[in-house]
Amino acid sequence: MNLKQIYKYGSPPNYFKLSLKAENWFLIPGILLIIVGCLGGLFIAPPDYQMGHAFRIIYFHVPSAYLSMSAYAYMAGAALVGIVWRSNVAFSVAKSIAPFGASLTFLALVTGMLWGKPMWGTAWVWDARLTSQFILLLLYLGYILLHLSIREQRKADLAASILALTGVINLPIIHYSVVWWNTLHQASTISKLSSPSITGDMLWPLLVMIFGYGFFFWGVICRVVASEILKREKRSKWAKQYIKELQ
Amino acid sequence: MNIYQQLFLRDLKVSMKRWSDLLTGIIMFILVAFIFPLIAGSDQDFMHRIIGPVILLSSLLASLISMQNIFKPDLNNGSLEQLVLSTHSLSGLVFIKILSYWISSSLPLVVVSSLIASAYYVTGIDIAKVMLTVLLATTTLVNINSLAAALTLGVRYPGALMTLILFPLSLPILMFGSKAIEYSILGMDISGPFYFLTGMMLLSFSLGPIATAFAIRISID
Repeated sequence: MNLKQIYKYGSPPNYFKLSLKAENWFLIPGILLIIVGCLGGLFIAPPDYQMGHAFRIIYFHVPSAYLSMSAYAYMAGAALVGIVWRSNVAFSVAKSIAPFGASLTFLALVTGMLWGKPMWGTAWVWDARLTSQFILLLLYLGYILLHLSIREQRKADLAASILALTGVINLPIIHYSVVWWNTLHQASTISKLSSPSITGDMLWPLLVMIFGYGFFFWGVICRVVASEILKREKRSKWAKQYIKELQ
Repeated sequence: MNIYQQLFLRDLKVSMKRWSDLLTGIIMFILVAFIFPLIAGSDQDFMHRIIGPVILLSSLLASLISMQNIFKPDLNNGSLEQLVLSTHSLSGLVFIKILSYWISSSLPLVVVSSLIASAYYVTGIDIAKVMLTVLLATTTLVNINSLAAALTLGVRYPGALMTLILFPLSLPILMFGSKAIEYSILGMDISGPFYFLTGMMLLSFSLGPIATAFAIRISID
């Protein structure tokens, strides 16, 4: 794919069509993978020798935590593209990712609390991962609220994008300054690629769930971006024509 | 006198004219720090433990109050637009503006923090360390604040939104600042937190004005 083809999708109607087309390519595998992952995680995987059946919440906790962090990176990437090329499409992508990122962060926090209560005896501890996840939620909320409270679309896009980029610079600093506290959170289970500290029976549903979440996320994002573009371009010729064809 | 000196003096004069804003900030600083022992108890060990967080949190609140109006009046009377239209680099002008705002809004806090430190039973050279921590922390906070103020220029009531933007971004400063004060009271080596605070100050002064200038440009046109 050369640069010209990428530029082609910078124009709203082309990107609109592309995301409508791509939607099902992400959504259907995502749903299938999540079903398989749920079955594998909830029924096939053996119970943990320490945590019993309670560990099964990992299959929802870890994917949402992963995705909440990478969604911020996607959002900031889209914001950067938007600022550099002043691309309306990139801004719509960034704007559509924000609420999903926030809800994934929230989900990661809630499942973590549900998991922590029986395991650690407390729903919340002041440790590095929990705190930086909470800060991530605040950053998402800041982006969403800043975007909401500026009337003019273009200004709102640019201002919120700057905030997203500032967050990217600050997130590692925040994370590593919180890491200084002694950490209660169990060490990451599958980051050690050579020898993961989890058996294969437990591992494969987790990987399936992570990919399922990712595919599903992008499927939903495709649809939301399409509607966002349509909303922004509602006065243009192609959008009017598209809406007329629908009716 | 070149434009930078002129802007610097002009901003100092303007903020002296709006002395009520500055005074509110200082009062906020003292108020939070003095009310805390009244609520939570005031034996010496406990006071020594909480002085770090209290002093940094109250300086954050104080700078939030006094910095809300760093750009807004200039936007309303049109002088901010003249700065954007001038041939000089906007980042440089913003840097000068931030510097003069730091002097008028945060330098008093550094002085007052010595008073608070002695009220918290801190003695001797440790008072100077507390002051130095406040100095380093506020120089960074002023940059984050100006970015938040510039981003929310288009918002009618920016206070709550600025707080939401400001708190996560200033978290490392608060943590390392209170660590520095804690270490200095415990008589430990404070060079670690101080290096971090100084590094954050340099980082914020090198990136802050650029981002702020960009945010101002957005809200002007």
